[in-house]
Amino acid sequence: MLQLVFFNVTNGLIIGAFYALMAIGLSLILNLSGVINFAHGGFLVIGGYLAYTLTPYLGFWGALIIAPILTALIGVVVERLLIRRLYGRDPLYSLLLTFGLAFIIEDGTRQIWGANGLPVSVPPALTSPLSYEFFFITGYRMFMVATVAIVVGLLFVLLRYTRIGVRIRAGTLDLETVAALGVNVRALRSLNFAVGIFLAGLAGVLAGGQLGLEPTMGDGLLMPSFIAIIVGGVGSLTGTLLGGLLIGVASGLTAVFFPSASEAVIYVMMAMVLLIRPRGLLGEEGMFT
Amino acid sequence: MSKDLLSRLVQRRTMLKAGLTIGALQLASPFIVKALGDEPIKIGLDNPLTGTYAAPGKNELIGCQLAVDQLNAKNGILDRPIELLSEDSTSGDAGAAVQKARKLIERDNVNFLVGNVNSALAQAMAQVSNEKGVLHVDPGGHTDPITGSDCKWNVFRVCNTTHMEANAVSDLLFKTYGKKWHFITPDYAFGHTLFENCEADLKKLGGTVTGNELTPLGITDFSAYLIKARAANPDVLVVLVQGNDMVNCLKQIAQFGIEKQIHDAGTQQELEAVEAMPSEARVGVWMFEWYWKQAAGTPGLDQFIAEIRKRSDGKVPTARTWFGYVTIHAYALACEKAKSIEAKAAAKTLADMELPPEIKLQPNKVYFRGGDHQLMLSAFIGELLQKGDGDPENLFKVNSIVAGDSIAPSVAETGCKMNIPA
Repeated sequence: MLQLVFFNVTNGLIIGAFYALMAIGLSLILNLSGVINFAHGGFLVIGGYLAYTLTPYLGFWGALIIAPILTALIGVVVERLLIRRLYGRDPLYSLLLTFGLAFIIEDGTRQIWGANGLPVSVPPALTSPLSYEFFFITGYRMFMVATVAIVVGLLFVLLRYTRIGVRIRAGTLDLETVAALGVNVRALRSLNFAVGIFLAGLAGVLAGGQLGLEPTMGDGLLMPSFIAIIVGGVGSLTGTLLGGLLIGVASGLTAVFFPSASEAVIYVMMAMVLLIRPRGLLGEEGMFT
Repeated sequence: MSKDLLSRLVQRRTMLKAGLTIGALQLASPFIVKALGDEPIKIGLDNPLTGTYAAPGKNELIGCQLAVDQLNAKNGILDRPIELLSEDSTSGDAGAAVQKARKLIERDNVNFLVGNVNSALAQAMAQVSNEKGVLHVDPGGHTDPITGSDCKWNVFRVCNTTHMEANAVSDLLFKTYGKKWHFITPDYAFGHTLFENCEADLKKLGGTVTGNELTPLGITDFSAYLIKARAANPDVLVVLVQGNDMVNCLKQIAQFGIEKQIHDAGTQQELEAVEAMPSEARVGVWMFEWYWKQAAGTPGLDQFIAEIRKRSDGKVPTARTWFGYVTIHAYALACEKAKSIEAKAAAKTLADMELPPEIKLQPNKVYFRGGDHQLMLSAFIGELLQKGDGDPENLFKVNSIVAGDSIAPSVAETGCKMNIPA
């Protein structure tokens, strides 16, 4: 039993790292622009399918880099044409817009690539388990965790030590003052949105290798990401990372004892956090209230 | 009120009535002069076009549409053309499915209702069709009660029951792979009844269940359940989840190398899911409800495959396509035989009706059982192929095609008590 628990904690951390990747992208956009991006799962799907289309030409590694960049470009177009118009209004407007957008992307994917799922092949070097004992730690899952770690590390460096990063962080706290100081807030928001969507696209490519592709795959991954943000605390990227890992572990552990509740447990966690510490574990007080 | 005013009011009312009558006559006149023969017979399809079950839902639509076009190219039904109205039921929202069913029946006045791929939605729709007295075929929801404890005079089913599915493979799995089984089961109506039936079969054979992992519908990651399943060390891992969940589950089984240590198998398998898996995930003994690669000379089969290929970008028909096709043709045959589209008359002829070779497209006798309105269709039992044999879509090696009535529980066992209103 102890081994089973240990296995599921490790496994939960792996899954949680993936949730965190999705959630950090969402969190970036929410923090700076106040947009609750319901289409984030849709951008994940676009990333995965683009990688599928590009793989025959660029190989897996090429697609892993190019597909998220293309997804980010699509994200910028969407931001400039649609989402920008709703900045400064009640967050409900952008929530409804992105909610509709999520349906459009899902059905668009179905029109272009078909309703049936598509298999994705990953490089053979990554396909096998690392050991007989730890069969659930496969090369690909380790690769996913490493990618998440590198990207999240780079993002934190970007936000901490670069001028743009400082502006994004400052904007999160007080956008009006940042604008008054002469920073081009429009460009800053576009760039920030692009980074968020890049992370969604990357999550899509990684998820494709793990799960295969299917037009509704974003739905199942979007809710845990929102919950990761709420548990970790709105406004804090470290909190979001922590939230992602926590719900992964909670879900894995519950699967040992009450399998059918493994999904419900993350909602229970969210409810508990909202009741006991509404700002989330590491959230800023008064953010989005 | 003065007399003057009263008479003025009456006059105005009379004028209004006259105006309305003239208006109504204009509206109604085309229908009066139109012969009944031109009035289409409306068929309402309320099936998923979005969400998890969009792929099977769309294939059922293609099958229905082919049958409608074939019938319309001849004489339709009773010399009346057929109109197919399709609504998106969603993949899991029973409220939406019921609302669409009501819309089809009350507003569009459909003569015949078809749906649903999702068992729970099919059950909910059956309540509506029964209340409204409309003939209804379930083309793909497998849970037992629909033609069992909850059977209804107006509801028929063309796919298997979960009981039939369990019976189709249990014996073979037990003999070939061993007696300790561990289950991965979807946590809703379909999964529950399928598990109960497999468990009952296994106990009869003298085997044991090492565990049953109930998984939420639409879950993407099965690793936690697979860790548990492997720790239980069973002989067979029986995968009962369907659709994308099945794809994800089998893919992760292959990634973890579990298929090298524990036999993988399941009951129902579908071509839609198999095509979405990478080759290494295609393992195990399964049952298909209908399969396109059959013995040469099966009447009507080649033509059916060619017609479907034309309509679905070269793809072969799946069991889902066949369900749609057979549903419409069975309804047409019943109406022709009853010489009526009236629901009770058509239901009466549909019960006990045997399907002709060019419709059934398989060996064995295929017929609706009068006692529970369940179609007795063959079970195609065999093994998945990693690479297409002869055709990229031939991914299943059929070992035997078993007659439906040999795997179906008796009507008494299903718990169905058919009450046909006078």
